[in-house]
Amino acid sequence: MATSGNNIKSAKLVLLGDAGTGKSSLVLRFVKGQFVEFQESTIGAAFFSQTLAVNDQTVKFEIWDTAGQERYHSLAPMYYRGAAAAVIVYDITNWATFMRARKWVQELQAQGSPSTIMALAGNKADLLEARQVSAEEAQTYAQENGLFFMETSAKTASNVNDIFYQIAKRLLQSHPVQNPQGMILSDRPAQRVVSTTSCCS
Amino acid sequence: MEKKRANDEFEPGPILPSQSVDRFEFIKQEQNSSEGLSTSRSANEHEREERRIRKWRKIIGVGGSDWKQYVRRKPHVVKKLIRKGIPDCLRGLVWQLISGSRDLLLMNPGVYEQLVIYETSASELDIIRDISRTFPSHVFFQQRHGPGQRSLYNVLKAYSVYDRDVGYVQGMGFLAGLLLLYMSEEDAFWLLVALLKGAVHAPMEGLYLAGLPLVQQYLFQFEQLVKEHSPKLGQHFSEEMINPSMYASQWFITLFSYSFPFPLALRIWDVFLFEGVKVVFKVGLALLKFCHDDLIKLPFEKLIHALRNFPEDAMNPDTLLPLAFSVKVSKRLEELQQEYEKRNGGTLPKAGSTNRLLQAIKHKELSIKPERSNCVQKDDPSPRILH
Repeated sequence: MATSGNNIKSAKLVLLGDAGTGKSSLVLRFVKGQFVEFQESTIGAAFFSQTLAVNDQTVKFEIWDTAGQERYHSLAPMYYRGAAAAVIVYDITNWATFMRARKWVQELQAQGSPSTIMALAGNKADLLEARQVSAEEAQTYAQENGLFFMETSAKTASNVNDIFYQIAKRLLQSHPVQNPQGMILSDRPAQRVVSTTSCCS
Repeated sequence: MEKKRANDEFEPGPILPSQSVDRFEFIKQEQNSSEGLSTSRSANEHEREERRIRKWRKIIGVGGSDWKQYVRRKPHVVKKLIRKGIPDCLRGLVWQLISGSRDLLLMNPGVYEQLVIYETSASELDIIRDISRTFPSHVFFQQRHGPGQRSLYNVLKAYSVYDRDVGYVQGMGFLAGLLLLYMSEEDAFWLLVALLKGAVHAPMEGLYLAGLPLVQQYLFQFEQLVKEHSPKLGQHFSEEMINPSMYASQWFITLFSYSFPFPLALRIWDVFLFEGVKVVFKVGLALLKFCHDDLIKLPFEKLIHALRNFPEDAMNPDTLLPLAFSVKVSKRLEELQQEYEKRNGGTLPKAGSTNRLLQAIKHKELSIKPERSNCVQKDDPSPRILH
């Protein structure tokens, strides 16, 4: 992959999915390495950030964690608009949340930016005995729709870092160009590139 | 159904061993977390507090019998008293008096029971899913299927039946939870009705209706007010692409009952129930004013963080509230509402239901009736008030 050492690329990432599927828990596991059994419901949306090193490059995720209930739908577009990546979360023990995830995918395909990288996360993968959505089915769906798919568990931390790492890798692959300002993958003005980019070369 | 009379003295619930809780029975996160209100009070303070409670008791009368007359005679005294904070042991009762919920309760005997026991709600599973995610750090709500969780479920279920258009929306649980710490289930339910249907002030059900129309309106109004009251900060927010939806939507959706220090939330609710939603705007603007000099220097990410984590001194009710009361918003709020309605076709639920509910209260001849069964007649637009 491309050259230079200390480029930090900011990428806006949004989590979407039905209420109670574990969006906040995934973020908290990824950002703080924590898990609580009864995570307070997210009202409105919450913001987090986390950097991730991929080979010699660093991606800084600016993460919007949204409220999942259908009624909050009207607040969602401002969070997925301009997002470089979206993680659509369902709960493997709840079929309805998978259907809802598919609706989110459709909405992003229709309303979002075509360059948004979409990941499908089948969360609560530790609750195998209660499974309602098979991994094969989700995988097939993901393939057909150009998403990449992983089953995750915020509780055991299984695949949590991996899914964000995969997103970061794909972000770098789809935008491999090096420009001296660093690449802005989020929709806000420049400025936030933290690195000392202007000095190199 | 758990009965917890409002005017009882503070009675501690089942405190789990080895957990240290604060004065309001929230489990302490850190060892040295300050509570805004100290537990060890000097004798002097204690005496002052006793006097204050006696004064309040006199104004309220037995079971609230003298309250209305007193408010009618001395509204300004009452306003001033409430702004200083309602004594904790009388809070539940006073909230019911000032919100108009006590009248609703008295006019509708048996309705709550009907809603809880005999009706089914399409939202039951949604409510259950969120029950242990509402105030998970409070001892009353922590125990699985304990009395706290059961009452919370009952109130939310009852409301979702009572108004099937609103049903259950995440966020309502925090309102109900806050109320349940100060009153019985049935009282909490009617206070929720009073707020959302507009017994005294404009109805707030638009916070939870499809499309969240009232949230959208409040956010529009708030954004304009920020620009007018703190122009530099407003400008800074625009430059950093921060809009109020990112930090203030939860202020409005839960009326500060979510993720705000409890002592502050209570003091805000004292005033909010008496003076109306303008208080939420005032407090929001006061927070921004208080932290203005810090906020104006911060870039996007730090700004978002700061707007979710205000410093401790900003969270002190005795500092923040006086500042909030000094912010004048009433007139502009009305103008901005009109402007918003003009832009958006003015389809928001208006004070119609308020008036009808008010009439119901005044004439004592109407009773609120829940929608019966699941086969709701969708073509009947009238509120659930029968003549």
